[in-house]
Amino acid sequence: MEQSNTLLDVKKLEVSYGHVDALKGVDVTVNQGEIVVLIGANGAGKTTLLDTILGINTPRSGSIQYNGTDITGRSADINVREGLTIVPEGRGVFTSMTVTDNLLLGAHHNMHESSDKIERVYQWFPILKERSDQMAGTLSGGERQMLAIGRALMSAPRIILVDEPSIGLAPIIVNNIIEILVNLNKEGYTILLSEQNAYKALKIAHRGYVLETGQVVLSGTAEELLEDPAVKDAYLGA
Amino acid sequence: MEVFIAQVINGLSLGSVYVLLVTGFNLLLLVALIIHFSYPQVVVLSMYISWTVMNLTGNNIILGILAGILSSIILNMAMAPIFQRVMRNRGQVDINSTLVISMAIGMIVTDILSHGFNRGFPISFSETLAGNQSSLTIGLINISQGQVYTLVVGIIGVSAFFWLLYKTRSGRAFRAIAEDPSGAKQVGIPLLRTGLASYALTGLLGGVTAVLLAVLLGSASPGLGEQVAHKVLAVSIIAGLGNLAGGLVVGLGLGIMEALIQGYVAGSWSNAIAFIILLVVMLIKPRGVFGMKL
Repeated sequence: MEQSNTLLDVKKLEVSYGHVDALKGVDVTVNQGEIVVLIGANGAGKTTLLDTILGINTPRSGSIQYNGTDITGRSADINVREGLTIVPEGRGVFTSMTVTDNLLLGAHHNMHESSDKIERVYQWFPILKERSDQMAGTLSGGERQMLAIGRALMSAPRIILVDEPSIGLAPIIVNNIIEILVNLNKEGYTILLSEQNAYKALKIAHRGYVLETGQVVLSGTAEELLEDPAVKDAYLGA
Repeated sequence: MEVFIAQVINGLSLGSVYVLLVTGFNLLLLVALIIHFSYPQVVVLSMYISWTVMNLTGNNIILGILAGILSSIILNMAMAPIFQRVMRNRGQVDINSTLVISMAIGMIVTDILSHGFNRGFPISFSETLAGNQSSLTIGLINISQGQVYTLVVGIIGVSAFFWLLYKTRSGRAFRAIAEDPSGAKQVGIPLLRTGLASYALTGLLGGVTAVLLAVLLGSASPGLGEQVAHKVLAVSIIAGLGNLAGGLVVGLGLGIMEALIQGYVAGSWSNAIAFIILLVVMLIKPRGVFGMKL
């Protein structure tokens, strides 16, 4: 039963940069329609995991299955075409390009109906429509995060990898972004979220994994993790 | 005054050749992520190929122009795998090793030109192509057809390039890679394939430039490529590496400066004086007049 709606299945994934082992055998699954959160400190391997799933890094061993197909080592441009997309850490928008250009980059592999897609993104984020001809470099942090999410939506994804969306944003903006992710999930987008702000992330997630130094040390439903003493101690500041 | 105007027009047509070359060089730097400073030497090789085709076809100008443009595109595309292989083997972009490849290509091209064509003697293009007859004479001002062609084609070429860069899907991908290659990869832009498109486009720019050089100079020698390559590299650095708009201004500026020096200073001191001025600018503005875009 569970196998049938598994969208992403990461098995024993190992990634190293030179002599540094960033991931030491990570298992993570994401089911269709879920929000799954990766919790962990800086350097735990969250970004490496997301980048490797997208196809930026080549794993040393292990496998990544997406929608029933083995995509281990497949390049990012093909994965984006097939419905994986990332909202990178630090927003990663192109500051010297206009908001419209940034959005269109998300649809690079399929410009078909791109103006309809842009209109839909503008419905999500009306502020981006007002800024459409502005350089992305002139946007505020929250607006950039919206732009990065909007760009991800432009690729018509099935699963959105979101890397540390709250970093460097004011708490009220963070709540706003979190709410957007919930709404996207209700629309049917599956979300794999990496977040240091564990409490807020677990509140909206279905399941979660705790990463420490490249390994999954704990996993479970969001409720279980919120109640777990070790998680409370280390990540919830309780 | 008349000398001044004549030399400015002279300089603009020479400058537009520099602009086209510097644009190609910068495009490879920004999108293919290589330093191909001997790219102008490859352009001169295309001039030679164009000349050979015209010789074989009884000075058929259309075929000559086609040969120049096509050969330039093919040569550029043929070099792409060499550069890209080195980049891939290094795991990521390593701009320094591409510099050595470019140097090797430049040396080989110069040797081919010295031994493979016309027994190493300078070649001269047919009068019909070179367009030496003046099309306009006002007082002392004497503008040749070749200069008019060069200027017009230069303006069209550069405008078309910027249109492509800012109004098309490929251009958008070019700009994304230029700003942030790893960010572009995360968005799903295929770096190598888009890079390949930039080789093709640079080849097209180079081919047009090869024809314009033939029209403007009417001749070529094996050493021409190296000489132009030095200037193009200098223009790119003075403007700020990778700065396309800056390359436009400084390229035209160098052309006009050279022409003015030729107009007012006896003897052929234009290169020495131009480079002394460039040196001074470099000392004042080490990152280029308009800033690097890398």
